[in-house]
Order: sequence, then C-alpha cells, then structure tokens
Amino acid sequence: MGSIEGIMTGFQVAFSMQGILYVLIGVFVGTFIGMMPGLGPISAIAVMIPITFGMDPTSALVMMAGVYYGAIFGGSTSSILLNAPGVSGTVATSFDGYPMAQQGKAGKALAIAAISSFVGGTVSVVLLMLLAPVLSSVAISFGPPAYFALMFMGLTAITSLSEGSTIKALISAVVGFMVVTIGIDAQTGTQRFTFGNVNLLEGLDFLVIALGLFALAEVCSLVINRKDLSMENAHKLGSLRITKKEFKEMSGPMTRQSFLGFILGVLPGAGATIASFIAYITEKKIAKHPEEFGKGSIKGVAAPETANNAATSGAFVPLLSLGIPGSGTTAVMLGAFLVLGVQPGPLLMTDRPEIFWGIIASMYIGNVFLLILNLPLIPYIAKVLKIPRPLLISLVIMFSIIGVYAISFNTFDLYMLLLFGVVGFIMRLYAFPAPPFILAFILGGMMEQAFRQSLTISNGSLFIFVQEPIALTLLIIAFLSFIFPLIKLLRKRQA
Amino acid sequence: MRKLLFVFILFCFVLVTTACASESKETSGTDEKNWEPEKPIELVAPAGAGGGWDTTARMAAKVFNETGIIEQDIGVVNKPGGGGAVGWAYVAGHDASPYNLFVASPPIVLIPLNGQSEYGHEDFTPLANMIADYAAFAVAKDAKWDNLNELFEDMKKDPESITVVGTSSPGSMDHIQFVQIAKAAGVDISKIKYVSDQDGVGLTQLLNGSVDVFSTGVSETVEQVKAGTIKVLGVTSEERLEGEVLEDFPTAKEQGIDATFVNWRGFFGPPNMDENAIKYYEEKFKKLSESEEFAEIRKQYGWDEMYMNSEEYKTFLDKQKEEIKTLLDELNLSK
Repeated sequence: MGSIEGIMTGFQVAFSMQGILYVLIGVFVGTFIGMMPGLGPISAIAVMIPITFGMDPTSALVMMAGVYYGAIFGGSTSSILLNAPGVSGTVATSFDGYPMAQQGKAGKALAIAAISSFVGGTVSVVLLMLLAPVLSSVAISFGPPAYFALMFMGLTAITSLSEGSTIKALISAVVGFMVVTIGIDAQTGTQRFTFGNVNLLEGLDFLVIALGLFALAEVCSLVINRKDLSMENAHKLGSLRITKKEFKEMSGPMTRQSFLGFILGVLPGAGATIASFIAYITEKKIAKHPEEFGKGSIKGVAAPETANNAATSGAFVPLLSLGIPGSGTTAVMLGAFLVLGVQPGPLLMTDRPEIFWGIIASMYIGNVFLLILNLPLIPYIAKVLKIPRPLLISLVIMFSIIGVYAISFNTFDLYMLLLFGVVGFIMRLYAFPAPPFILAFILGGMMEQAFRQSLTISNGSLFIFVQEPIALTLLIIAFLSFIFPLIKLLRKRQA
Repeated sequence: MRKLLFVFILFCFVLVTTACASESKETSGTDEKNWEPEKPIELVAPAGAGGGWDTTARMAAKVFNETGIIEQDIGVVNKPGGGGAVGWAYVAGHDASPYNLFVASPPIVLIPLNGQSEYGHEDFTPLANMIADYAAFAVAKDAKWDNLNELFEDMKKDPESITVVGTSSPGSMDHIQFVQIAKAAGVDISKIKYVSDQDGVGLTQLLNGSVDVFSTGVSETVEQVKAGTIKVLGVTSEERLEGEVLEDFPTAKEQGIDATFVNWRGFFGPPNMDENAIKYYEEKFKKLSESEEFAEIRKQYGWDEMYMNSEEYKTFLDKQKEEIKTLLDELNLSK
C-alpha cells in the first residue's frame, strides 16, 4: 500500500532542514498572532499568502499549516489572562482559565492549556495520519438533518453552562438566538433585522460578540470593583508546576477530547469553536464535581484546549482529501493552496504525496515546537498581569478594538463591540450568564439553516430527522442528557 | 518583560498605521489630456481573502506590476460584507476618484435586484471586463441522469423529488444560473427546490446524497470528476471549454437547450470618473488581457478570455439586468 511509502516521504519532507525551518517560522508567527487578543488564524494566513509567492509549495504550505494550528495553540493566552479571547475556538477556555488566573494560578492555567493543546494536537495528528484516507467518508456522512441534531445536542447544555437561575440562562440563550438571525437569510435571501443598514447584511461577527460580552464587560466590572480586595491575587503568577494528582485529573478529559475534538473537526462546518464548547459541556456533564466548572476547574481548561487543537488537525481531512473547506480559516487555506498551484482534493494524496503527507508529518514537529516555545515563555507572558491595573485595562480595550477592526476594517463593527460591551455589563449586573448567549449564537445559526434545509429537502416532513440514523442517534443522546438530571432529581426527592 | 510589552505595542501600532494608510484621502484626477496615476492605486475585492473576486484582483494586480503595464503600486484591499454591498458602498463614497477600483461579477447586477444593495452597476463606471467563467451542474456519479434533458424531464414530472444546492442565497448567482437554463428547457422555475449552503459544504451534501444537483462553478467540479465521485451534466458556456476534463463537459446548448450563463469578471471605478482616466484604464486592461503572463493565469484557473471596453461592458450589463429581472419576477424574488 502506497500509504506507508507516502508517510515516509512525508517525514522526509518534514524532517529536512528546510521543512523544520518553515515549520518553526510558521508556528512562531502563528502562536504570536494567536496570543494577540482579536487576531486569529484567518488574518495570519491571509497576511502570509503574498509572502509565499514563488516559494516551493510544500514548504509554503507546511508553514501556513503551522500558522494555523500555532494560532489556535497560542490563542488561549489572552483568554486566560485577560478574558479577551483572540480566536473563537478559545472562548470556552476563558470560562475556567480566567477564574484560575484571578485566583493567582495564571501560570498553572497557561501550563495546562499548553500541555493539553500539545496532547490534543499530537493525538489528532496520529489519528490524521492513520485514518486520513478513510476519514473522508466520515467528513461527508453528515447531511442537514444530522447537523441539526448535532447542534441541538449541543444546545441541551445551555442550562448546565451557568450557575444560578435557569430562567436567566434561557433568556440569555434566546437573546443569543435572536442576535444570530441578523443579516441576510440564506434560504430566502430576505434581510432580517438589518434595519436597512448595509453593515448588518452579513450579520455580526462572533468575535464582536465574544470580545464585547467577555473582555469589555470584564473591563467595566474591574473599573467598578477596583477597591474589591478579593481580586488581590489576580496579579500573581503562581506556580507552573502541575502535581501528579492534577495531571491525573486532566488526563481523562485530554484523552476523551482528543478523539471527540478530532471527529468534530473533520465535519465541515463544525470546527474548533463548536468542538471546544462541546468538549467543555461533555466534561462538565460527566464530571463528579460539575459545580467546580466555571470557578477555575483544571478540567474546564484542559477539555476545550485539547478539543480545539484536535479539531484543527481534523479540519485538514476535508480540506486535503476532499478539497472542501469546512470553515472560514480553511477556506483561506484553500485559497493559499490554489495560489501555489496545488489543488487539494481526492487526488492530492496520489498526485502530490509529498505535500499531502509532508503537511501531516510536519504537524508532529510543529506541536513539539509549540510546546517548547510556549512553556518557557509562560512566566514572561503571564507578567502581563503585573502591569498596573489601569494600564492593563486600557490595553485590553485597545486590543479588543484592534482585533475587531482587523476582521473587516469596518468602523461599524467597533460600535457593535461597544454596544455588546454595555450589554455584557448589564447582563452581569443582573446575573444573566453570558456563556449561554455565546453558545446559542455559535450553534443557533447553523442549527436554523440545517433545520430549514432538511425541511426543504423532505418537502416539509419532520420524519427526516428520525429517518437518518446519525440524526436519530444524536437526538436520542440529546433527549437522554435532558432527561437524566430530571430522574436524578426525582430520586433524590424520593429518598 | 518591558521589551516584550514594547514589541506587543509596536506590533499594534504598525497594524493600525497600515490600516489607516489605505484610507488616506484622494486628490481628484488631473485635467491633463493623458491621465497617469501619480500614486498607488487601491483595488477593492468586496469579499474576504481567498474567493473568486479576491483571486482575480490579486492576480491582475500582480501581473500589472510584474510586467510594468502599470508602474504604480496596486494594493488589493478586502472589504467583505453583504455579498459585496459593503465594498460597493465604500467605492461609491470615493466619487470620481481614479485611484479606487474594484473587481465585480454578476452579483453586482443580482444583489441590487434582490434589494440587498442600494448600489448597482449603473452607479459605477465600468472600465473593462477581463474574464469569463461558467457554471456547471453536477450530480453524484451513480445518479440516474446522464444529461440535462433527463434531469429536466424528471423535474417537470415531479419537481418535489429533486433538490438543488448552491452556495449563494436564492436569487443570487448559483440559483439564477440554474434557473436560467432550466427555464429555457421548459421547467416551471417557481417549483424548483433550492437550498443554500453557505458554509461551503454544498459539495458534501451532493456526495452524501442529501441533495441531487449541485449548481456551482466549472473549476470547482474538476477534481471531483477526475476522482470519479461526481458527473457534470452540463455547463453554461456557448461552446465546449478547453482543457483536460473540461473538454468532456457537454454544454447546455449542444443538448438542445438554448441558453447560456456567463460568470463574467471585470473591473469598475467609482461614479463620475474622468474620461481620460477611463481611457487610461481601458487601454491598460486591454494590454493585461493580451499579455502572455495573464494568459498563463487564465489557464491556471480555467478562465476564458473575455475583454470588453467600457462602452461594450455597459451595454452588456444593461442587457443582463433585463434578463435577470424577468427571471426574478417569475420567481417572485424581485424587489
């Protein structure tokens, strides 16, 4: 079988001096850009495309891939330290990473993020290498009903994403749903809630909402509570060392989420963001002490960080073996391939094995480099927290604004950012949790479209959701995860 | 630590200043007979990086500068949003400036008709059309149809059983290109079931059998046809295309359906551009179109040559608008 030969060629490419050099450049640029709040892999890759003109395609693509997973790897930094996610895939990391930092355990949180990113990245590359040729059939196995069921399953976790009032969590989610409908509706071409404003035609960007609700709202709270002594610890780095017990605790989520994240990454349209949320939710559901989540749980950092890196490798399956970009970032990657005269698709593996396997093999080295780069840097990066509070707050605001402006160079988005900052702050004042809002925003758009596509295909019959085995299975899981807590509650009452 | 912070901040300043630089004010065209650009030209791709507009703009800019047809630097700027509407509004705001061009294709006719943009092609100065691309209608390799007529026969008999998928929303390109050909074949176009898949997974839905027909661009189908996963029932060009695999695709015309659809791509300037500047660009784009370097790029991406000067372009656009308006009226999508 040519596969083994291909893998060998891949390693030859990846371990050549040139290969190693370009991987190093790629992951360095990627992780650095990822660390910047608001700057993600899309802008990083788009910036790199002109640089690669005239480069040897394999080296160029190995480098671009490095930028991509490097950005996801580094993206957790600003989520943990500043509650200002730079990449949508790391929003879930802030749920527990930021509380850890506030408890004076920033160093540990960053170390956990780095290690679980490494594990997720490496395990998924192994999976990618072993299974890439067969996985292309998995990538296309999801029809619209199955996508609907997947998103629906994710949504059953809304209430588990928040402490306190269930009603408030649901209200928050409903608002998230409403906000995601803004823009041109794909199925009819009608404008919804755009108020005739051309800037709203494509809806709101995820980062605008995430940075508003998290970073800016946090800034407001910091300013208001500036005399609050409970925050005393927030500028401490704490120990980097992860104890044996802690490592044991994170090994479960890391193993599970490497696989789950990878599979979700393989599905076009799902990707790192959805994978990280689903990872966070599942770990919380199966945890013995779910109440620790949201308050600085180690698992709560390890799970999404493992999953988003695993999903990033997974996303290479449809890209390389089908030529189908499953997300905005991989779409730009596809553009980069074409510029270099390489057409990804079913024939890439046989026509250009050095590229196909070279990229995959280079990811091993890339992940090792990322770990080596990130771990020793933690004490330096975490010193950001030592910056005096007023200066730090202004920096967060500045980075948020730059990040949002960099999405489409449109000042309108900045007003939206401010608006959501205010919304986020009001939500905090009245104890409406922000995560359900974000979750509904991420899943809602795709869920609605998949629902309506399904119904168009079935001429309006709802049976389409139970006829397809994948959809049916997912819906049953969703139903069970909804029912179980109720049964538990009833038993407790009887006892 | 200080150093690190400094680098952080420096990086941001560079980002901000470069972003601002592209927004700097213009000085309007000169009165001289032969207009020449005196500063870098901004070429807007009203979409994100990596798409068709972006590619066309970047390739044109690259060849212009490398061959020296235009000496001034040409910077490509992405203005995504609203299917182009955000970029168009931006260029329209640079009234009469000969330094703000943009790349366009049929959506600039379609989107205003759908009521999604207040600006249409009449609001700009068409400079030159450069290339033509065509639509392809693909089905799974084991589908029961082997040509467009068989497909359209089934659509007439049982329109509910066949679903068409495309990337753009109804009334936009992937939908209209299919509808135009189907109508010529006598299908009741108001009954066509069309779903839009904007995550770019239309091809996935075709491969897993969720939908029956994929309406897309010719070049998107080539790799899959080579791999034997799909078959192309028809393309919308006048004559057969050239090139490996492409030459095997039957046209709708040769199947007895008298209709074509051209995905043209060309360059526009802001409204009220100076005559001399229009002349300048017409001439430069003609040179570009005739250059060997651009021919190479057309070949690479599978585009056809289709040069039109400003006047011809305008007439062509007006005619296309009429045709599409008729279709949209019939589909009840016209605004």
